[in-house]
Amino acid sequence: MKCLIRLKVNGETYEIAVEPRKTLLDVIRNEIGLTGTKKGCNMGECGACTVLLDGKAVCSCLVLGVEADRREVITIEGLGNGVHPDPLQEAFVKHGAIQCGFCTPGMIMTARKLLDENPSPSEEEVREAICGNLCRCTGYVKIVEAVLDVARSEKGGRDAGLLSHR
Amino acid sequence: MKNFEYLEPRTVAEAVFLLTEYGDEAKVLAGGTDLIVQMKLKKQTPKYLVNIKKISDLDYIRYDNKFLRIGALTTFSALAQSTMIQENFSILMDSVRAVGPLQIRNRGTIAGNLCHASPSADTAPSLLALDARVKTVSLGEERMIPIKEFFKGPFATCLKAGELLTEILVPSIPSNTGGTYLWLPKKTAVDETLVGVATLVTLDVNGVCDDVKIGLGSVAPTPIRAEKAEKLLHKKKIEDGLLSEVGEMAVDEAAPRSRAEYRAKMVSVLVVRALKESVRKVVSHMRN
Ligand code: FES
Ligand code: FES
Repeated sequence: MKCLIRLKVNGETYEIAVEPRKTLLDVIRNEIGLTGTKKGCNMGECGACTVLLDGKAVCSCLVLGVEADRREVITIEGLGNGVHPDPLQEAFVKHGAIQCGFCTPGMIMTARKLLDENPSPSEEEVREAICGNLCRCTGYVKIVEAVLDVARSEKGGRDAGLLSHR
Repeated sequence: MKNFEYLEPRTVAEAVFLLTEYGDEAKVLAGGTDLIVQMKLKKQTPKYLVNIKKISDLDYIRYDNKFLRIGALTTFSALAQSTMIQENFSILMDSVRAVGPLQIRNRGTIAGNLCHASPSADTAPSLLALDARVKTVSLGEERMIPIKEFFKGPFATCLKAGELLTEILVPSIPSNTGGTYLWLPKKTAVDETLVGVATLVTLDVNGVCDDVKIGLGSVAPTPIRAEKAEKLLHKKKIEDGLLSEVGEMAVDEAAPRSRAEYRAKMVSVLVVRALKESVRKVVSHMRN
């Protein structure tokens, strides 16, 4: 039996009938069609599926779609796009913090959350924050550099930051 | 994941009613960070999934100087942010910090961590050392279960069908007491704990041990207390020779299965280290 849920994703409201066993990740990718959020392990280990649920970073593969009823979700598509990228997206490109790119959306969601809460993190704090986002390619050094670079240039995240525009 | 019927009770009474009605075919969903994985692996295939997150009064941290009370829906993130826990129950805070990355802490609950009953549950050794208890509600009955009696085997608890854990109670820590949780992670994607040791030490004014509690995680079928090791320290002054005896006794009480030799060795190392650290905390408190 399907359940009717209503959720807001990147500011837009969706009403969808979902099977209770479908994860939020599957709802976002397959029902709503936003495929920026990645499915890596599907077991809560890699962080590729990280989204913000009511402002909190979560693994969307460990949340049921029905649990997101009447909640708000921000995905990587909600942060920026090709024309107006988030500073973190630009910095990742500039620093070569992307290789295959599979970890990148989750990594950027976690990093954005970090900078919104802690505008000038230490390297240690950046590493701690992204410890749930696994990258098989870059070795993390460039990712950490990119995040620190944004922290320095933004001095506290965008003024029109994620938390304030919602 | 197998299909199931999804239920959202609004009150504890409603949840208990559903859990009683559906018995073994029902599972309680809290944070889901363990259960949803289990369901994907088909290790759990509930017919009815009872999501308790819509129950409004189960998410709290309260302290009345007698008991710290933690509601069943309190997440690790909420605990990690509690200055009250940091100040009054730092041993518990050590355990909370050992739990997963942010994404897991934001969803996972301490009550769920206990109910999942993994032998390596990080909060268990500290709660054992703190002599915590859990409150459960079932149809027409409430129980207060000492944490020592809660775990029955790997991934098994003494909870009966129809019974819901609603609160964790931790008695306040006496003065002149220091506690620590130390752990070693497996280096895997999830850094599961390989050995976890919690110690809580109360000294009298002469530096003699009034009370010692040692909780061990991940080295036996369930988290355990090392009570024989504790007894060795009773009314004794803590010194190096005695400490290594205590460490060895704790090894005797542990029963690690995989990587047994390494784990056993690490039990003695961590027990000694944690006891020293706990004593250091008491002494620095006494000085202040
Ligand atoms: S896909 Fe969700 S954590 Fe890996
Ligand atoms: S860039 Fe390939 S996994 Fe991170």
